Amino acid sequence: MANPPSGDDRRNPHVFDRRKSSGSSGHLELLSKMSGHLAVTLNLEETIQKALDLIVKFVKAEGGALFILEEKFNTLICKASAGPVDIRGIRIRSGEGIVGQCVSVDTSRIVRDVQQDPNFDQTVDESTGFQTRSILCAPMTVNGRRLGAIELVNKSSEDGFFSDTDLLMLQTLASAAALAINNAHMAEELVEQERVSRELELATEMQRSLLPQSPDSHFPVSGTNLPAYEMSGDFYDFFELDDDRIYFSLGDVSGKGMDAALLMSKTASLFRCLGKTILEPDQLLATINRELCETAIHGMFVTMVCGILDPRTGDVRLANAGHEPPLVQSRYGTFTELPASAPPLGIMTLQAADDGIREEQFNLNGGTLYIFTDGVTEGSLQDGTRLEQSGFQTIMLERSDLPAAGRIEAVVKLLSDTGRKRHDDITLLAVEDNRPGLPGVGPADESSLVSRYNFPARADALHAVREVVNNACERCGCAREAATDIMIAVGEACQNVVRHAYRDHDEGEASLEIYCKDGILEFRLQDTAQPVDTEKVKPRWPEELGPGGLGLCLIHDIMDSVEYLPLPEGRGNLLRMVKLIKGYDNNET
Amino acid sequence: MKHEIVQKQGATVVIFRGEIDLESSPAARETLLKCFGDTSNVIVDLSDVSYIDSSGVASLVEALQASKKNGSQFSLAAVSEPTRRVLELARLDKVFTLHDSVDAAIQAHA
Repeated sequence: MANPPSGDDRRNPHVFDRRKSSGSSGHLELLSKMSGHLAVTLNLEETIQKALDLIVKFVKAEGGALFILEEKFNTLICKASAGPVDIRGIRIRSGEGIVGQCVSVDTSRIVRDVQQDPNFDQTVDESTGFQTRSILCAPMTVNGRRLGAIELVNKSSEDGFFSDTDLLMLQTLASAAALAINNAHMAEELVEQERVSRELELATEMQRSLLPQSPDSHFPVSGTNLPAYEMSGDFYDFFELDDDRIYFSLGDVSGKGMDAALLMSKTASLFRCLGKTILEPDQLLATINRELCETAIHGMFVTMVCGILDPRTGDVRLANAGHEPPLVQSRYGTFTELPASAPPLGIMTLQAADDGIREEQFNLNGGTLYIFTDGVTEGSLQDGTRLEQSGFQTIMLERSDLPAAGRIEAVVKLLSDTGRKRHDDITLLAVEDNRPGLPGVGPADESSLVSRYNFPARADALHAVREVVNNACERCGCAREAATDIMIAVGEACQNVVRHAYRDHDEGEASLEIYCKDGILEFRLQDTAQPVDTEKVKPRWPEELGPGGLGLCLIHDIMDSVEYLPLPEGRGNLLRMVKLIKGYDNNET
Repeated sequence: MKHEIVQKQGATVVIFRGEIDLESSPAARETLLKCFGDTSNVIVDLSDVSYIDSSGVASLVEALQASKKNGSQFSLAAVSEPTRRVLELARLDKVFTLHDSVDAAIQAHA
């Protein structure tokens, strides 16, 4: 024999000894035909079967088989078979037998006598009755991705041995088949991706439908939710009870994935369902908590606020389980935080009692309650800094011309128009006491004017200004201590005008107007100097001492509301300070 | 604002009267800082101060810092109600050493 039958001829599929190849037109024609079919096929299995039949016939093998690797199961499955025995569906563990070896080391092989090869696996022959003598095997790979292998068995002519030319033929077929299989895999993955994305779309739509419809503009409750990704872990909801009161809620599920979104859906549904019968917010949170604890998912929890507004009186009952403190903005522009009284829901069972979830009761008195998720306060602005609660308060004051729904939209717009990728959902709920007939916010009209005083912006004029303030406070019925405080605050404000507004010029003028109505004292201090940069005028405590910063601290500490108002002429500054006279309005402290 | 400086049992007592505001605080500042050149035991009598603003408070803070720097004793005595209120609002009532009277301050400094 020309070649010893025991020879084990391992070959790198990419290197071939061209001296032994004899590229006749028959080979080329066959290869071109097979490759062409594989490149455009729509029915991969049928085309592969045909290609296998052709090559078995051409190489004069007794049979052949094509195995596809299923990586998930570490198994090779026969997808096409030619010859006397149909072995389609047969499974071989990856790495076992001659085919398995070929695939795992990505190398072609000519095995001239299988009995001499320790890797040869008898089981297929035993189960089919076929007798394998020799094997020609070529792996299929694309860009290092292992896809399977094609093997031919028992050369039926000449010396009974597969030749290098046969191997070249098989390798070429294997390459074309590998490309076709890889394309088919990618097409399948695309279809799968498409399916998942469609399902996600449906889930997003479903989740949006859990949020309440936008009410008409007079409705006292409004909310908004802007997810960072397709699904949101935040929710808000509100609905009217039979007695015209309004139940409202906002929650944030820990985490951000699909699991958070599903728990959000569950919690939102519990609120809407149980809220119709449990009319105490603390009891409602305790019940939802028990329900979530029963079916707890390890490590997941929900922070949630819920409450009831009586739109006829402005009364609010509120319970907070572990959520960021909601803010109440009084109609005078002051803010109060309402911290949580209980841990988040879904962690441990709690009772609606003093040691568990506590309920707050208060009257909005013309103010607005804001409930929001940390996506709002931790949201990034255009310059990369966080909005923080202080920034939120500033927007609410600046946009006080808008109804509550417009104000929260202004926040969302500010946080979403930054050109930055958001990583957290933005969810906001505003509960507004918008009863008609509430006293107005500011008494700044001529009828409530107590005093108007013009003075030169000089240090030696400040004593007289303080006298004017003191007299006005006395006339408005201020207690002595309150009058002292007010004099300190207004004195500091005037001092700032003298020190900063005109700087080196000493011909500046300023005016102070004092209004009083319904227990509200309002001071309007106006100058005609260059507008101050309100961003830079921030209170600072004496640790970073400078009299300017300390003065502002005193003003903010004493007054209930301090803000710069825009001047129509665009020149000068108008500082508005409001002090509520204690004891006048029992709902305000 | 008027001021008076008296020596009492080894201490330099600075007595301010009236209003320490933007107009008078530069004078108050100068008076206080000058004291540390001559003595290392300064007591400020604020019993007759009817008003103090943040610029006046800043003068007192500067004096406190100067006393720390050169190891002098420095305290405020007989602080009037309006002055105490401003110090409280400014969270400075715990920063300064306060005494009920000048005599109590002298005893404490001894």
